[in-house]
Amino acid sequence: MAEVVLEKVNKQYDNGFHAVHDLDLDIADGEFLVLVGPSGCGKTTALRMVAGLEDITTGTLRIGGRVVNTLSSRDRDIAMVFQSYALYPHMTVADNIGYGLKLRRMDKSDIDKRVRKAADMLELGPLLDRKPKELSGGQRQRVAMGRAIVREPQVFLMDEPLSNLDAKLRVQMRAEIAQIQRELKTTTLYVTHDQTEAMTMGDRIALMKAGVLQQVGVPQQLYDHPNNIFVAGFIGSPPMNLATARLNRAGQGFELSLGSAVLSLPDTVLAERPALAAYAGREVAVGIRAEDMEDAALARDSSAQGRLRAKVTLTEALGSEIVAHFAIDAPKVVTSDTKELEKDAHVDGLLAAHQAINTFVASFAPRSRVRPGDEIEIVVDRERLHFFDPVTGVAVRS
Amino acid sequence: MASIGNQAGPQMIGAVGEGPPTEVVRLGTAKGNWFTRVGWSHLVGILALAFSLFPIVFVVSAALNPVGTLSSSSLIPSNVGFDNFGSILSGSFPRWFLNSLIIGVLSAALSMFISACAAYAFSRFRFVGRRPGLLGILLIQLFPQFLAIVALYLIFTEVTQLWPAIGLNSIWGLLLLYLGGALGVNTWLMKGFFDTIPRDLDESAKVDGATHAQIFFGIILPLVRPILAVTGLLGFIGAVNEFLIASVFLTDDSVKTAAVGLYGLLADEQAKNARFGLFAAGAVILAIPTVALFQFLQRYIVGGLTAGAVKG
Ligand SMILES: Nc1ncnc2c1ncn2[C@@H]1O[C@H](COP(=O)(O)OP(=O)(O)OP(=O)(O)O)[C@@H](O)[C@H]1O
Ligand SMILES: [Mg+2]
Repeated sequence: MAEVVLEKVNKQYDNGFHAVHDLDLDIADGEFLVLVGPSGCGKTTALRMVAGLEDITTGTLRIGGRVVNTLSSRDRDIAMVFQSYALYPHMTVADNIGYGLKLRRMDKSDIDKRVRKAADMLELGPLLDRKPKELSGGQRQRVAMGRAIVREPQVFLMDEPLSNLDAKLRVQMRAEIAQIQRELKTTTLYVTHDQTEAMTMGDRIALMKAGVLQQVGVPQQLYDHPNNIFVAGFIGSPPMNLATARLNRAGQGFELSLGSAVLSLPDTVLAERPALAAYAGREVAVGIRAEDMEDAALARDSSAQGRLRAKVTLTEALGSEIVAHFAIDAPKVVTSDTKELEKDAHVDGLLAAHQAINTFVASFAPRSRVRPGDEIEIVVDRERLHFFDPVTGVAVRS
Repeated sequence: MASIGNQAGPQMIGAVGEGPPTEVVRLGTAKGNWFTRVGWSHLVGILALAFSLFPIVFVVSAALNPVGTLSSSSLIPSNVGFDNFGSILSGSFPRWFLNSLIIGVLSAALSMFISACAAYAFSRFRFVGRRPGLLGILLIQLFPQFLAIVALYLIFTEVTQLWPAIGLNSIWGLLLLYLGGALGVNTWLMKGFFDTIPRDLDESAKVDGATHAQIFFGIILPLVRPILAVTGLLGFIGAVNEFLIASVFLTDDSVKTAAVGLYGLLADEQAKNARFGLFAAGAVILAIPTVALFQFLQRYIVGGLTAGAVKG
């Protein structure tokens, strides 16, 4: 049981590449913190520094109040689950799990007891005499988990432990790992590039971009109050819709020109974000979550105040909702954040973000009858708009 | 070859299962006759076999020839007897044979271990002088040991005066020399193999609490067994068969290796003819440990020669 504290931790590799910048993280005792970010943002590097597999260039790392910068891995009392699982091929499952205990010269009978307990927890009992090559991917993953929990370490470190599993198994193991962690109450730092894993597993999420920490908080906070466009676009699936709009004064209040549409803003929007007034007469980046839009044909409140008109290009009926894609005539937001997000989407094979037209994705109630090609009106929940600076990408708040 | 022959013949495969038998597929009806498709490879194989077996057959038959002269030797012995074996085993040969075994086993085992340590360091650690070290080893290997023989002789003359136990005319001195000689090739061979063992395993063991020594002995060595078998066998064969340096170093009858001793049997022209049977008998006996070791290590070696190439 220990908290892990990173203070201004930097990592510069031997080739001069600066992979992690001034990372400040505070993982409370027993907390499950997910470190998430696009590929190459330095998550693994950060994790390996905590594990003692990579030197810390500058900064302080504390585990359980003790500065461990120069302590070797074996003295940090941590356990790590590798993406490749790194099971020892020449040892049986039982020996794999018990290896760490054997190295600590624990009694053979005690080792057996603890290995059995861990194996029961992970339903590995019947497999204890097998070699890793005789196991399925999911079973290997469990062995890797077993190897970590049997040691009863102060901290679990996991580097994308589920990325080699198929989608269904991933969902199942996601729940299992989270449950085991809750049972054992072991401080956990979990690395992933999958925002769904981050949202569903973590007590808190730390989001990184290009070696720099963007925001730390409980999942809902990152979702509802992203610090910047990068967080807004990374967290949530589908990602937040973004467009460049113009903020104008209209009598006492403000209205937003979003392409050809004009949305008048309720007073509460400005009351919550005093800084927004400074953008009057200027451009501002607007973010709208998919679920904050509704097919106007279904909407009860039929005020024409907050509507967009658009032509539906694609619909996906998922049963519980209908996902509608439509082009809007407001220009795309282009900042360093959106470029980074596009790069990441590319990696995942989602090319949609790359097209020149600005496409919005909305989630309608399943009663909606929209079909591709329909000209429809869309009601926007104006209370739940997000505003960002169009140049820096920082959220506009107080 | 037998198995290839079996598969080559035409075979009938009938349809299995319920329902009327569907079309019968007849193998071996592809274009060309049997010889142009597979037969030629048998011919090549037989020729190669004959080529490599010839000297062995000749030596074995000479060893079994009770007359025991070179001139009376032929491929098929006219007379078979074990006289040559009896007389060679009553001379100095057992001593030489023992010397060869000692040198072979020790130099194989020790050089295997030292090279494994070196290969582990070169494969896993990043240190100043790593690249120059690797290149240096390679470069030195390019020169035949033979070139150094004069220098080695001079050095060991000096050593003999200080520590006769590891100097000239001592198998321990020769052992030292062999250890150094095999180090380079083995280190390179092993490093290549070590590199194919994922580093995650080391790191995982490190997090589990293992020291470098524990990682080396507990994780890495068991996984590189094939390459250990290969280098061990090559080291053994090399040491047992080495003649040139051994003949310069070992001149006393009691310290000679089998290779040097057997050669000595044929040293003068007249003896060459008369003692050829003895020589052949010694050579056959000398081959026994090598073949036995090969048999024993075979299952590792087949893996070892190919395992490094493709990561499984
Ligand atoms: N040994 C190294 N030397 C130099 N640069 C490195 C080294 N290891 C990683 N990097 C660089 O550091 C950056 C961060 O790498 P890291 O492995 O931490 O990314 P990541 O966030 O884990 O990505 P992924 O999700 O793809 O695993 C990358 O740009 C990578 O190229
Ligand atoms: Mg990574």
